[in-house]
Amino acid sequence: MNEAVAKPWSTESLCPVCLKRISAERVIDGQEVWLVKSCPEHGETRTVLWRGEPDLPGWQRPKIPSQPPVCFTEPQFGCPYDCGLCSNHGQHSCSALFEITSRCNMNCPVCFADSGSSAESDPSLDTIETWLKSVRRACGDHIVIQLSGGEPTVREDLPDIIRMVRAEGFGFVQVNTNGLRLSGDPAYAGQLQEAGLTSVFLQFDGTTDEVYRRLRGRTLLDEKVQAIENCMQSRLGVVLVPTLVPGLNQDDIGNILRFGMERAPGVRGVHFQPVSYFGRYPSAPDNTQRLTLPEIIRAIEQQTEELMKVEDFAPPGCEHSHCSFHGNFVVLDNGKVMPLSSQNATCCNKPSPAAEGAMKSTRFLTHQWAAPEIEMPPASKAGKEKCCDCSEPPSLDDFLNRIKTHTFAVSGMAFQDVWNVDLERTRNCCIHVVAPDGRLVPFCLYNLTSADGHPLYRGKSHADIAP
Amino acid sequence: MKFSEEEIQNWKCETCGEGLVMRKVEFSYMKGSFHAELPACPKCGLVLITEELAMGKMAEAEKALEDK
Ligand code: SF4
Ligand code: SF4
Ligand SMILES: [Zn+2]
Repeated sequence: MNEAVAKPWSTESLCPVCLKRISAERVIDGQEVWLVKSCPEHGETRTVLWRGEPDLPGWQRPKIPSQPPVCFTEPQFGCPYDCGLCSNHGQHSCSALFEITSRCNMNCPVCFADSGSSAESDPSLDTIETWLKSVRRACGDHIVIQLSGGEPTVREDLPDIIRMVRAEGFGFVQVNTNGLRLSGDPAYAGQLQEAGLTSVFLQFDGTTDEVYRRLRGRTLLDEKVQAIENCMQSRLGVVLVPTLVPGLNQDDIGNILRFGMERAPGVRGVHFQPVSYFGRYPSAPDNTQRLTLPEIIRAIEQQTEELMKVEDFAPPGCEHSHCSFHGNFVVLDNGKVMPLSSQNATCCNKPSPAAEGAMKSTRFLTHQWAAPEIEMPPASKAGKEKCCDCSEPPSLDDFLNRIKTHTFAVSGMAFQDVWNVDLERTRNCCIHVVAPDGRLVPFCLYNLTSADGHPLYRGKSHADIAP
Repeated sequence: MKFSEEEIQNWKCETCGEGLVMRKVEFSYMKGSFHAELPACPKCGLVLITEELAMGKMAEAEKALEDK
């Protein structure tokens, strides 16, 4: 590694115990990058951020911060205690996430949704309408609206909520779901589609029941497959969303991608989320329990036998470079894929305004994560041996046809917890949760809890948040 | 391509003077490689890329291959 870049980069983070803002350094140690920080009262923590290639120093896409057009709060206590968004924030919203229930129809060991509470605790339709209006005022109607929970499909009025989102003028609405209800009721996907749903963000942790048993406490593969089929029947775009846990499903990455590509163009892509740690942790989660973005990118290359390559993936144009990766492909008739994006986009490394990246990114996602606009041809045979001349490139005409339907987006986002949170990243975050009082809070900060399980934001008003 | 075999036969390769024929040509473009039937010289292999192709399909492919 180049000595000149092997210097620590300074940023800020939080103390895992008292949640006070403290300075932090990203320290390069051989092939790894660590976040090292020290609270005068509670001592030092070291958390791994990045392991191996593509190297973090080269993984950059510099942006000029863009202040949100409308700010709901004024800076008072300092970042990250003023969300928000406040006028110090550096990026516009590209997705707004609505928690429409805290109830769930499952009981996963990895999740903190409250499967016990009753429907009365859900936000009312009036409340949701108020949120929608304020989000539209602050962010515009071009952004991604994600309905989340809990499990949003436990609400009987989910179709009404979707209709409300569309009536407010938002063009793209996505439901974040475990798929149980979609699999059990064949008519349900159609009802959601008719109400105006565009896309389903489907929790999909692996291609074997063993993965689900260990991660979710029960077998689920059949239900997932059925849910996908039902969504495809009803022309809902499906994005597979695996939570990756070291030692549990990281070897299934290639299978998940092949599973998805076999179902293109109904399945629109895969969005990987390495596990992060919320809730009560008496001691910091071991660093072997963390999977970093470059490890996922390399696993994609290895496990797809180089169908997809490391060089096909690039840092984001919207959020902070350290937050995510993405690569876009077209799935060809012969089972091969052709990359559509490349790191070349970053080689000139000229900073561009963050808001421009946010606009491009929403335009891309609202198109890519929805079902293709033209009639879907039968599912492709990606990853399967089908023809005798697999090595042959497609004809220009086939490619131009294919690109209209069979694009496939592969991405990953490394959510942060109290140990690895980098305030430079959250300050430039584009994915915002709508708090009950309508404030917008970067997703990672909204879910963040101290080591003993105390939330920074969830369930608190602005005045309660100061450390 | 919208040209008939006869039509392109009348086009001559500038160096060889041979009439062009339609040929399956493989080419790499940005991050992809494709094949297409294009007019080429049977002797030296030179390929004619018409303005129609360059401005039409290749521009379309270029747009598709661009990063978001
Ligand atoms: S994360 Fe953004 S909105 Fe929240 S306090 Fe910091 S700058 Fe303000
Ligand atoms: S949600 Fe977290 S990981 Fe994603 S862009 Fe925002 S700060 Fe980055
Ligand atoms: Zn402390």
